[in-house]
Amino acid sequence: MRRVGMRGARVIGFALLGAVLGFGLLVPLLTGDPMRQDLSATLLPPGAPGHLLGTDHLGRSMLARLAHATRLSLGLAAATALCAAVPGLLLGLLAAWRRGWVERVLVGLADGVMALPGLLLVLIFAAFAPGDFLPLYLGLSLAFWVEYFRLTRSVAGSVFARPQAEAARLLGLGPWHLLRHHLLPELGPMLLTLLGFSAAAAVTALSALAFVGIGLRPPTPEWGSMMTELLPYYEEAPWHVLMPGLLLAASVLGLQLAAGGRGT
Amino acid sequence: MTMLALDEVAVHGPQGRIVAPATLRVEPGVPLVILGETGSGKSLLAQAVMGTLPAELHATGAIRLGADALPARDTAGRRALWGRTLAMLPQEPWAALDPTMPAMPQVAEVPRFVAGLPWPAARRAAAAALAAVGLAPAERRFPFQLSGGMCQRVALAATRIAGAPVLLADEPTKGLDAALRDSVAALLAEEVARGATLLVITHDIALARALGGELAVMLEGEIVEQGPVARVLAAPEHPYTRRLLAAEPEAWAPWPHRPAGAAVVEGEGLAKRYGPQRLFTGIDLALGAGEVVALTGPSGTGKSTLGNMLLGLVPPDAGTVRRRGGLSAFALQKLYQDPLAAFAPAMTLGDALAAVIRRHRLDPVLATRLRDRLRLAPALLARRPDQVSGGELQRFALLRALLLDPALLFADEPTSRLDLVTQAEVMELLREVVAETGMALLLVTHDAAMAGKVARRGMALRPETGGA
Repeated sequence: MRRVGMRGARVIGFALLGAVLGFGLLVPLLTGDPMRQDLSATLLPPGAPGHLLGTDHLGRSMLARLAHATRLSLGLAAATALCAAVPGLLLGLLAAWRRGWVERVLVGLADGVMALPGLLLVLIFAAFAPGDFLPLYLGLSLAFWVEYFRLTRSVAGSVFARPQAEAARLLGLGPWHLLRHHLLPELGPMLLTLLGFSAAAAVTALSALAFVGIGLRPPTPEWGSMMTELLPYYEEAPWHVLMPGLLLAASVLGLQLAAGGRGT
Repeated sequence: MTMLALDEVAVHGPQGRIVAPATLRVEPGVPLVILGETGSGKSLLAQAVMGTLPAELHATGAIRLGADALPARDTAGRRALWGRTLAMLPQEPWAALDPTMPAMPQVAEVPRFVAGLPWPAARRAAAAALAAVGLAPAERRFPFQLSGGMCQRVALAATRIAGAPVLLADEPTKGLDAALRDSVAALLAEEVARGATLLVITHDIALARALGGELAVMLEGEIVEQGPVARVLAAPEHPYTRRLLAAEPEAWAPWPHRPAGAAVVEGEGLAKRYGPQRLFTGIDLALGAGEVVALTGPSGTGKSTLGNMLLGLVPPDAGTVRRRGGLSAFALQKLYQDPLAAFAPAMTLGDALAAVIRRHRLDPVLATRLRDRLRLAPALLARRPDQVSGGELQRFALLRALLLDPALLFADEPTSRLDLVTQAEVMELLREVVAETGMALLLVTHDAAMAGKVARRGMALRPETGGA
């Protein structure tokens, strides 16, 4: 029963994720410029002729803006997750391999980063270049690498301590063999799960930061900043505020379900 | 009165019958031991009695407990009797106990939740039960502060505290050394003397011998021979029983020994401690070419550590290890207790061998020849380590080590997880390989009989008294 449930959740997750991804990748090719204003047609409701999802308070196409925002959020989330994964993975391997003081220093560093709230790191970086992509993405990667480091170090540490690793060493099979055949089959699925979860966390963080005006800023289409911009018009156009929120929820839910159902 | 009776109890799976109908009676005070190897269906029979068969299997026939007869299908009915009428001693009790609770409170959970006593009464009952197995001083200790034998006693106290007259023990000596095995046998014998109805499932002939009573020998889901232990073991009738008894190390022919050649490794004045625990000090051990040395002693005395030290895997705290000059870096090889833990789990055996052949630029023909020599079918190469039997996998581990033409093989309890017949086969192959290649063999074993038959020289490690 449980297995079927998990598999079902995974299918739903991939379907949601696929739909959001398809929207973000294909729709920007078909729609016009998300920045083009038309002050004669503001706050049109969804279904208005020529504007499938209506227009915002400056008469910009909601469809184009939502699609571009989706592409931006998912792209940035994927980049953040990958940029956190690569150094985290390498440092975790280094710590498990070398042990001794190298491991102690790296674990101390990771604990130090964990002790800081992730938001603080992003704020520090965002203060240097407000509204820019780079600090956001650097700050988030810096907050997220710790998870990859801790996972890799603990799994690699236990695999390297097993008889199978000792046997491989005695037989003269080198480190590459150990990584490829002993560690990867065990660590791989866990890393994929973590990638999904940290991408979901990154999507949420980006929108949350934009919503409070720290992250990306208008006029760049972004779910969080779109919600902020449209909030004053909630009475006239409640759907407009809801749409970016729905996309955010769908992508986070999709990522979590797809990642969480793995390996069971 | 017969306390436990099985009437035509059989176990069926999706592919048909797994255990043939068995009719057995167990009287109070006379234990029944079901003896069989891995896969013989003996554990399924125990699970059918307890009502804990996996969901895809089901039992037929009837199980009588005292005056009540229950259809073997009725697992819920049996569940209601757990602890009160029918209790099962867990395998490997150090894993079955809750590591976060001291001994007494976890035993007290049984009277509290099974018998429904209030906590103070439950605690008094638990204290009395622990005192009865001689553990009164240890009731505040956590499982990790108890020895294996003490954990076994805690589990026994928890199993019988609710007064179940029928006790099942599935492989109670699995993974135990000889001393612990004897203490478990003594514990169970005490229960029987007290009038318990005991059904023991085991692969261990020594345990059956120690318990006495009735014996049923199981092979491929069928009971092939049945009778009083003493008679069956002295005069086995079924060919399988005879084969089983002949596979006991006590029945082996001693290995012939040639004079030892030049020393392959020499350890001098070796010492090791882990934290405050001193394993050994001042050990001198040298192995000559072609020599077989057995290392024995209870668990925790550092037998494996000493072997690993000679292989250069563990640095000694004091003393030196010298290898003969001119040996290749891979001339010292090792066989592991659990062969499954010694292979990369996701690689086929063929790929695992190919990796070694590629790394050392060996002739693949050599591997084929060795494989035939070790009687391993080519079809096994396409399987993963968990898809072959333990005996086959240990032979693959031997093959992998032999590819590098080792001067010394350190075999760390290589057969302790194998069935008797398989153990005899693997050890016979090892004997042949030692005779053919002239390599030295350091065998760690907890089986004194095996050490006596195999080794020219033995070394027994004893627990060091006194810590830091």
